[in-house]
Amino acid sequence: MTTEDASQTQGNLTQMPTRLNESSTEPMTTTRIVNRQTRESISDHSPVGHGVSTPGPDLTTQDFKQAIEEKASNFTYVEYEILLSGVSGTSKEKNITLDNPAKVELSCRLASKYPHLNIVQVAWKRGNETIKHINKTENSWSIQLTVTDENELGSYSCTLKGEEEFKAVFHLQVPKIEGKEKPIISYDGDSVVMICKSSSYTPITWTWYLTNGSEQIAINDSLMSDKYVIDRVPANTTHLKILKLTKKDDGAYWCEAVFKLGKSKGKLKLKVLTFMVPLKPFLVILAEVIILVAIVFLYEVYSKKKEKHAEDEKEFEQVEQLKSEESNGVESSSTRHRKV
Amino acid sequence: MSHQVPSDLGYVPPDGGWGWAVVFGASISVGFAYTFPKAFTIYFKELQAVYSISYSQIAWITSIMCATAYGGGPISSILVNRYGSRPVVMFGGLLCGIGMVSAAFCTSILQLYICVGFITGLGLALNLQPSVIIIGKYFLKRRPIANGLAMAGSPVMLCTLAPLNQFLFDNFGWRGSFLILGAILLNCCVAGALFRPIGVAKQSVKNQMIEEGKEAPKEEVTKMSMEMSNPAYAPAETKTEEEEEKDCCEKINRYLDFSLFKHRGFLIYLIGNVLMFLGFFAPIVFLAPYAKHIGIDEYSAAFLLSILAIVDMIARPATGVIANSKWVRPRIQYFFSFSIAFNGACHLLCPLASGYTGLVVYSIFFGLAFGMVCAMLFETLMDLVGAARFTSAVGLVTIVECCTILLGPPIGGTIIDTFGDYKYMFIKCGAVMVLAGTFLFIMNYYNYRMLAKEEKERKAKEEDPKIVRTENEGRSNWNKETLQDGPELEPLRDEQEGLKTEVNGTNEV
Repeated sequence: MTTEDASQTQGNLTQMPTRLNESSTEPMTTTRIVNRQTRESISDHSPVGHGVSTPGPDLTTQDFKQAIEEKASNFTYVEYEILLSGVSGTSKEKNITLDNPAKVELSCRLASKYPHLNIVQVAWKRGNETIKHINKTENSWSIQLTVTDENELGSYSCTLKGEEEFKAVFHLQVPKIEGKEKPIISYDGDSVVMICKSSSYTPITWTWYLTNGSEQIAINDSLMSDKYVIDRVPANTTHLKILKLTKKDDGAYWCEAVFKLGKSKGKLKLKVLTFMVPLKPFLVILAEVIILVAIVFLYEVYSKKKEKHAEDEKEFEQVEQLKSEESNGVESSSTRHRKV
Repeated sequence: MSHQVPSDLGYVPPDGGWGWAVVFGASISVGFAYTFPKAFTIYFKELQAVYSISYSQIAWITSIMCATAYGGGPISSILVNRYGSRPVVMFGGLLCGIGMVSAAFCTSILQLYICVGFITGLGLALNLQPSVIIIGKYFLKRRPIANGLAMAGSPVMLCTLAPLNQFLFDNFGWRGSFLILGAILLNCCVAGALFRPIGVAKQSVKNQMIEEGKEAPKEEVTKMSMEMSNPAYAPAETKTEEEEEKDCCEKINRYLDFSLFKHRGFLIYLIGNVLMFLGFFAPIVFLAPYAKHIGIDEYSAAFLLSILAIVDMIARPATGVIANSKWVRPRIQYFFSFSIAFNGACHLLCPLASGYTGLVVYSIFFGLAFGMVCAMLFETLMDLVGAARFTSAVGLVTIVECCTILLGPPIGGTIIDTFGDYKYMFIKCGAVMVLAGTFLFIMNYYNYRMLAKEEKERKAKEEDPKIVRTENEGRSNWNKETLQDGPELEPLRDEQEGLKTEVNGTNEV
């Protein structure tokens, strides 16, 4: 795969199939060539286009199709399409994640089973602002955007009005960072490690914030290196290690990933407990164990006493029997011994 | 089973009464011993992050725990032979508790290896074996049912420990959880307290002497007559020398019966089981990853394991009841071999299962087969060697099985990594288990025939003139009486009677 191949791909731009399913392997190879080119021109982070072309978590519904990316000028080029085929009045939404500047084409297509509907009016809007669209094919309309910074992100909607009305919305966003809903629990004097991950996009940098009242203060680990240690291995995760915890460290922490097109935050909660907290259930269970063992032993002693009492009575009877037998048989046993 | 013949224990087990409390205690102990390593894996992620180590390093904790729990078998056996089940289990529970509580204060992964892996593992070993041993002392007629119920503690405990661990972790972090788990493990001491000692105690020996008091003079008579018939006292002296040699061996054998390695049934069981464990645990370990591999989501994959556990929970007591019925009990070894082969067949058919419903069906059958094998695991060993020698047998068996149990999942993992496909792992496990089942089936058929032959020979001997027999018997009795005393007296002498009991069983049906 050389650069010559890439330029050939460039030439065949329009002939490249635009509707491909996730399972076909062709677009993948093209993507790789493109990546090598774009890497030189834009940023040095590898999964630039790759991330956009692989199906992310948003792209699971059946009624849209995603295009491969093709190279055009300096930016990666992506196409997204929503297929409108549902009931009139409902609006279909799609989330598109972009971490690097790109040229985006968004299109709305009417399913071929509605040929009889006459679409009178097609409008592409971003908020109140109308965007000029092009009539790509007989029943699809699209707009082209160049997204270079976060101002160009947002929600873009297409409305098709005719006998029935159809609406579709595209949400262009930076990758979301997921924090943890459940608080991380740690103890006084212990150390804790908080982790933030960005699944398939590599951010340029990470920053950690701690919450002081209502403010968010950035954590500078070189300044307070005996308290905080920030680690970034591998590149799309970040570790914040907090040492010598105290009650004051309790609260919310934010990890922020900075991408070319904006920033994204994830929230983590830290709870610092004293050792008294788990000690209480521990002592309760310990007490329960001791009580149960005592009950078992006491019951055993009690039942043994009962048994012994009953046995004593039996033995007493037996001894009396033996006595009477002995008095009868004493002669026979003595003769036996004498024989030997 | 003939009930009139006294068991090789020297007394008639109660088969009920306090025995059911013992079964309850045993199920708790067994449950903790088998499920604690599995339920512990919840803490791996957190510990990995805190100590900055890889998954394989953290997985060593459970490997050490399992290895100690199975490898500590002989230690358990020796201690039980010496002190009885109750003190050993209580001490084991205490060890587990101490291990986990000290793990809560650990500051390095090495300390975790020692506290959680070694100390807790040893405590679990001291829990597992004595629990199984004491069932053999309390039950004879209903022993399979008791065994099935006790082993059912394992899936029940798994279903409770796993969510409990998650709850503890969410509320107390890993240190607090270890502290509380230590307290929970102390409940093994409660289980141990229930293990009331039973057996040839001084009181019952006294009773026997009162009852059989008239036999004693007879034995003395034969002894004296033998001495008179020997021309010199030299043989007596050589006998004392032999006594000393035998004393040493007998001493070791008193604690751990190595003579079991000459026992045909024991060897058959050992070889068959060692083979079986190569493919026993791997499918469980890889069921969830396999489900995820073919595209099933995480929660449904976890649900497969829950289905397995629930079916397992029902299958174990049910197998106990079936194994106790008069058709199956005398041929219990065949039933055991069948369930192993059934298990293997399930694994062989697993690759054919397509989609989620196929895997659900597989889980159900696997749970059934798994429960059947586990319920009879120790019952068959008891059946082969007799309850008296079972103490040593279980220790020796577990330490030998320890190797294959630990090797099973890693070998499965390597096969998956080499071929990139899970089906070869299932085929390997299935093949190994079918082989083990067939081996056990054939060898036990041979064993039953040999036992029947020995029974015939013994009956032929009984028809000989009585004088010769009493002399021979008297001599052997005298030897054994002078060489040992204490609990070994009854079991060794009655080992032949024990064999007789089992053979009687086979002959009855």
